[in-house]
Amino acid sequence: MTIFEKIFTLTNITYLLRCAEVSLILATSSIVLGTIIGTLTAAAKIGKNRVLKLIANAYIEFIRGTPMLLQLFIFFFGLPQLIPNYANLSFSTQVFVAGIVGMSINSGAYSAELIRSGIESIDIGQWEAGKSLGMSYFKIMKLIILPQAFKRIIPPLVSEFIVLIKDSSLVSSIGATELLKGAQVIGSHYYNYMIPLFMAALIYLAMTLTVSTLAKKIEKRMKIYD
Amino acid sequence: MIKLTNIDKHFPNVQALNNVSIEIHEKEIVCLIGPSGSGKSTLLRCINGLEIPDQGKVFVNDKEIDYHNENEMQELRKTLGFVFQGFNLFPHKTVIDNITMGPIAILHQNTDQANANAMSLLARIGLVEKANEYPSKLSGGQKQRVAIARALAMNPKIMLFDEPTSALDPEMVKEVLMVMKELAKDGMTMVIVTHEIGFAREVSNKVIFMDEGSIIESGTPDEVLGNPKNERTKAFLSKVLY
Repeated sequence: MTIFEKIFTLTNITYLLRCAEVSLILATSSIVLGTIIGTLTAAAKIGKNRVLKLIANAYIEFIRGTPMLLQLFIFFFGLPQLIPNYANLSFSTQVFVAGIVGMSINSGAYSAELIRSGIESIDIGQWEAGKSLGMSYFKIMKLIILPQAFKRIIPPLVSEFIVLIKDSSLVSSIGATELLKGAQVIGSHYYNYMIPLFMAALIYLAMTLTVSTLAKKIEKRMKIYD
Repeated sequence: MIKLTNIDKHFPNVQALNNVSIEIHEKEIVCLIGPSGSGKSTLLRCINGLEIPDQGKVFVNDKEIDYHNENEMQELRKTLGFVFQGFNLFPHKTVIDNITMGPIAILHQNTDQANANAMSLLARIGLVEKANEYPSKLSGGQKQRVAIARALAMNPKIMLFDEPTSALDPEMVKEVLMVMKELAKDGMTMVIVTHEIGFAREVSNKVIFMDEGSIIESGTPDEVLGNPKNERTKAFLSKVLY
């Protein structure tokens, strides 16, 4: 039996796919939460309130100017000090929550800039048309600007999602057993890292390619009114 | 109905309006004419607060408008239809949804009622068959007619037109002007910024000639267009074909 045959078994593949599920959950939760954080941050940046604007800018600069790995460590060690009884949670829950919080807050900063530029790319005439119908700022935003802006934001947001799928591997360094960690576990078991690492790489590739293919389909469907 | 007194408006490096006063009465059709940059669009935009005057007062039914009170401005804008040079239809909505958005979101009409109303407006502008098209599928003239229907759906007391035919291909000007003439016939109060002097002469009961941010001459179409007294009005009209 070759080493490849030893490692490339249904059991190991299933194990890696389980791990990939963790990666995918981390990335999906983070893109959803990150988009919400990003929309609020973008609104703060576009709005007139100077304090909110300052906070939004500081947040974006801090997140974009420091490594995500460091941010994950901050949340992993910081959350137990911030939240009472957090340390009583199971270790895997602690890691998982810290991972999602860290990745969402990281992603929110990048999404904020995408969303802001998307909103600002909508023609001023659209604002004026909404205003002249007697709409409030929020109604114009909700009914006219955001639906159009999101169409333009979807492609870069998909790229952000793909980045998150890949960057979820960083959460392994605070103890999560996601896809990269899974490959390392198999590697250490058989004293062979190359084969499981390539298996993990293929699974990452399958996930990212699926997402980008889906995104192209969605974009095509949204083109109807162009 | 609407009275603007001593309006000043500055833009960086330009004085767009210089001590302008006008009054618009019910069922009046007022045309604002003048060279580009004369301030006529700015004046129109001051009426519904798309521009906020630096100085001067605006009264609607003898009540002064507070431009910095957002709620009051929204209430005012509900009663004023505005038609833009560039249409500004909502590209992500079909024609009928463009028309019903205001009535549903602002006037809280139910969908059936708003749709029925929109269809009868589409019938009026002759575009029933385009109800479910997106604006990108329409010609310029059709877009502008839909934009007029969208404004009318709010049941405005006054319609404001900002160069409604200036962005159109020549062969589409007429269909838009026809719709406006119909409105005039129905007794709508209208303020129209236009370069269509012939149209102004035909439908308006008051013509205002503006230049460099001031009103130079105003009166009936016959007075201002037929027998202008001011040299600048004469010079402008002599350069315009109609």
